[in-house]
Amino acid sequence: MGEFLVSLIVALIKIAVVLGVALGLGAYLTWFERKLAGHIQARLGPTVVGPFGLLQPLADGLKLMTKESIVPRGADMPVYYLAIMMAVAPALLLFSVIPFGPEFEIFGYSIKPIVADVNIAILIVFAMGSLAVYGTIFSGWASNSKYAFIGSLRKASVIIAYEVVLGFAVLGVILLAGTMSTVGIVEAQLEKGIWFIFYQPIAFVLYLFCMLAESGRVPFDIQEAEAELVTGYSVEYGGMKFGALPLAEWYLNVVALSAIAVVLFFGGWSGPQILGPFSPYFWFLVKTFGLVFFVIWLHWTLPRFQARDVTEVAWKIMLPLALLNIIATAVAVYITGG
Amino acid sequence: MPWINKATLERVKGVFGDDVKFKEADYAVSIEVTSSKLKELLTHLKDREGFVHFVDMTCIDFPSDPRRFQILYIIYNPAENERVIVKSWTEEGKIPTASDIWRGAKWAEREIYDMFGVEFIGHENLKRMFLWEGYEHFPLRKDFPLQGFPEEELPSLTEVMHGREDPPSHDFELLHTKVATLEDLERTEKARLKKKAQLVLNWGPLHPGTHGTIWFLFDLEGESVVQAEIILGQLHRGMEKIAENLYYFQFLPYTNRMDYISSICNELSYVTAVEKLLKIEVPEKARYIRTMFAELQRINSHLLWLGTGALDLGALTVFLYCFREREKIMDIIEGNAGYRLTTAFLRIGGVHYDLAEGTLDVVKAFVKDFPKRLKEYHTLLTRNRIWLRRTKGVGVITREEVHSYGLSGPVARGSGIPYDIRKLEPYAAYDEVDFDIPVGEVGDVYDRYLVRMEEMAQSVRIIEQCIKKLEKIPKSAPYINKDHPCVMPPRTDVFNALEDMVQTFRIVVHGEKAPPTEVFSSAENPRGELGFYILSTGESKPYRLRIRSGAFYNLSIFPKLIEGGTIADAIALLGSLDPVVGETDR
Repeated sequence: MGEFLVSLIVALIKIAVVLGVALGLGAYLTWFERKLAGHIQARLGPTVVGPFGLLQPLADGLKLMTKESIVPRGADMPVYYLAIMMAVAPALLLFSVIPFGPEFEIFGYSIKPIVADVNIAILIVFAMGSLAVYGTIFSGWASNSKYAFIGSLRKASVIIAYEVVLGFAVLGVILLAGTMSTVGIVEAQLEKGIWFIFYQPIAFVLYLFCMLAESGRVPFDIQEAEAELVTGYSVEYGGMKFGALPLAEWYLNVVALSAIAVVLFFGGWSGPQILGPFSPYFWFLVKTFGLVFFVIWLHWTLPRFQARDVTEVAWKIMLPLALLNIIATAVAVYITGG
Repeated sequence: MPWINKATLERVKGVFGDDVKFKEADYAVSIEVTSSKLKELLTHLKDREGFVHFVDMTCIDFPSDPRRFQILYIIYNPAENERVIVKSWTEEGKIPTASDIWRGAKWAEREIYDMFGVEFIGHENLKRMFLWEGYEHFPLRKDFPLQGFPEEELPSLTEVMHGREDPPSHDFELLHTKVATLEDLERTEKARLKKKAQLVLNWGPLHPGTHGTIWFLFDLEGESVVQAEIILGQLHRGMEKIAENLYYFQFLPYTNRMDYISSICNELSYVTAVEKLLKIEVPEKARYIRTMFAELQRINSHLLWLGTGALDLGALTVFLYCFREREKIMDIIEGNAGYRLTTAFLRIGGVHYDLAEGTLDVVKAFVKDFPKRLKEYHTLLTRNRIWLRRTKGVGVITREEVHSYGLSGPVARGSGIPYDIRKLEPYAAYDEVDFDIPVGEVGDVYDRYLVRMEEMAQSVRIIEQCIKKLEKIPKSAPYINKDHPCVMPPRTDVFNALEDMVQTFRIVVHGEKAPPTEVFSSAENPRGELGFYILSTGESKPYRLRIRSGAFYNLSIFPKLIEGGTIADAIALLGSLDPVVGETDR
C-alpha cells in the first residue's frame, strides 16, 4: 500500500512539473518567438511590458481571457468546444513520454524523470500526432465557415501524408536501438557512444520536415495561410479559445516534437558534466531549444508551399526516401548484428 | 507618342470613303466613323493597320445632340508606335460591342454601361461595373447632378440602423442618392456569378489577400477555381464626375487618392496632360525634380508590392525589410512635399517647392545603399525553391493577351512587350536620362517579379543621373514656370509681388481657361499606363476627363488567368498584377 501511495504521489508530482513546465514554456515561447522574429525582421519585438518585455505573455494571456467570447451563428456547439480540447490534449500528452534526464535516487526511491516510461512510447507519439488532427478537423467543421473548412481539410491531407513518412523515418532509429521506449533509445545511444543522427541523417531531415508539417509551421503552414484563408481553421475562434489553438499547435507541438527529435537523434540528455546533477537536464533543454530556434528561424524566413505541393513532396519524394533508408538500415543492422 | 500618320489616314479614307472623318489636334488625332461602319473600321485598323493594342475606351455625354453619346476607342500600333482615337455615336443609346475584337473592351464597356447607360449589342456579360445591381441612375451623364437629387431625401445608413434622430448631426445627414444596402450587395453577388461547382468562396470586400477593398468570388471544386468574378466599386468615388466640376488645378490632389501608393507618379501624369492642354513649358529644374521623385515613388511602390506579395506567399520577413527602405523614401518625400502619402507636390507648370536643403545628399545616400538592399531581397527570394515553385508557370500571360486586354506596366513587360511610356512618349526628363526597359520571356508571375526587381535597379540609375544634373543647376533657377498665365506662382512670391497675387487670385477664382481641344496623354506608373483624356470646350473646367487606369485593365485579365488554378495561385497571381483599388475604382 505504502509503495503504491508513494508511486502515486511521485507520478502526480511528475505530472504537475511536466504540465507546469510545458504550459509555462508554451506561454514563454510566444515571447521568445516574438523577440526572435523582431530581431530577424530588423525591429525589437516586445519591450514595453516588463524588462525586455518579459511580462508580455502574461499581458497577452490576460487580454485573450478578457475578450468577449463570440461564437459564430450556426456553429456546432459541442464540437466547437471539443475541438479546442482535441487540439490541446494530444499536444500535452506528448510530453508524457519524454525522458528529461537519467534515473536518480531521492529518499531511497529511484525516480525516472519521465511521466510514463512505457515500452511503446514512440507509438504513443504517432497516436497523439494523429489524434491532433481531430482538433483541426473539428474546429474547421464546427465553426461553419468556408475558410476554416478549407484550412482544416488542407491540414488533414497534410497530416495523413506526413504521419506515414514520420513513421517510416523513425523506424530506422527503432531498428538501431532495438526498442520503442524513449528511455531505451537514449540509453542505446549512450551505450554506443554516438548520436543516431550520424547513423540516420536522412531520417533526421525527414523527421524535421514532418515536424514542421505536423505543427503547421512555415513552409507548411498551408492550413493557416493568412493571405488566402485568413488564418484558416482558427478564424472563428475568439479570446483564449483562439489563443489555445496556436498554443497547442505552434508551441506545445513544436516543443514536444523537438524534444522527441532530441531523444531519437541527439542522444537525449547526454552531454559533458558541467553542471553536476543538473547537466543532463541542461543539455536536454539546450538541444530542444536549438531545434525550436531552428523552426522559428525557418518560420520567419521562408515563403510557404502550395497545398498540393506539400502532399506531393511527402508522397513522391519523402516516402520513397524513408523506405530506402529503412531498407539500408535493416540490411546494415542485420550484417553488423545490431 | 506620335499619333497616326497621314499615309495611314489616307489608306483608311480610301477604304471607308465618306463614312470616316478626321480631326487632328496636337495631342489627339481621331477618326470619326458612322456607327454602322464602326466594327468594320475597328477590325480593319486592328488586322490591316496593326493597331492591335487596346489602350482605352470611354464615352462622352452630349445632352444637346440627338445621338447623345459619343464612344471613344483609343488604340495603339506597337510596330509604328502610333496611337489613334476612333469615335462613333450611339444610336438610341446602343452601339455594337468591341469586346470580341479586344478583350479589354469587356470591362471598359461594362464601365460605360454602368456610368452612362449605353447598351453594347453583343456583349456577353453586360452587368454594372462599379455600382450595384438595381441602382437606377447613371452618374456620369450630364443630367446627374454632382450633389445627387436635392428633392430626393433618403435616410443615411446610420439612420436606418439606429432610427431617426433630430436634429440631424453630421452622421445623420440626409442623402440625396441611394447607398447600397446589404440586400443590394447580396443581389449583386447573385447576379455576377452563377454557381457551377462545389462552393463559392468570398474574398472580400475586406480580406487580407485582396490588397484593398476588392470583392472576389471563386467558384471552387475542391481547391481549384472553376470560375472567378470580381466585384469592384467599393472605393468608387466618381473621380471623373468630380473632375468635370473642378478647375484643372483643383483636381490635382484628387489624383493622389487614386493610386495612393504612387501619388507623385499620378500627379506627374495629370500635370503632363494639363500642360499639354494649356501649352505650358516646364523649367528644366522642375522636370528633373519631377523625374527624380517619380522614380523614388516607383521604388517606393514596388517595395510595397514586393513586401505584400511576399507576405501573401508566406514570407513574413521580406515585408518589414521592404518597409525599412520605404520609410527612408517616405522621409525624403515628406521633407520636400510636406506629406508622406498624398503629397500634392507637383503643380501645373512646375513643382510646389524647390528642393529642400540637403535633399540631394539624402537621396545620394539612399541610392548608394539601396542596391545592397535589393541584393538582400534577391538573396531571400529569387533563387528560393519554394518561391520558384509558387511563382513559376503561374498565371502565364501571352503577348496576344497583353495587346487584347490592354495590359501595361510591368505586367505587359513581364510578357516580353517593351511597352513603357517613359520611352515611347517621354515626359518630364525621361528623354534626357539613360535607362533600360527590362522585359520577361514567359509572362508568368516569376517574370513579372523579376521585371519589377530590375525596374527598381533602373530607377536607381535614373535617380543618380537626376542628382548629377540637379547638382549642376543653380539654386536660383526657377522651379515653376510662373510666366505662363495659367500657372500659379509660388506662395512666397504671392505675398511679395502684386502681379503674382493678382495672377493667383484670377486662377483661384476663374480657373485656367483652356483652349477648346482634346488631349490624351499618359505616363508610366508603377502599376501601368495611367492616361488622361481631357476634352475641353474652352471653359476652365474640363467637359470630360477620362482616367485610363492601368490597374483596372491589368486586373481585368485575372478571372481568365485563374480558371483552373488553385486559390493559392490566385493570391500569387493577384500579387503579381498588383492592383490598387483606389485606381481601379477611381
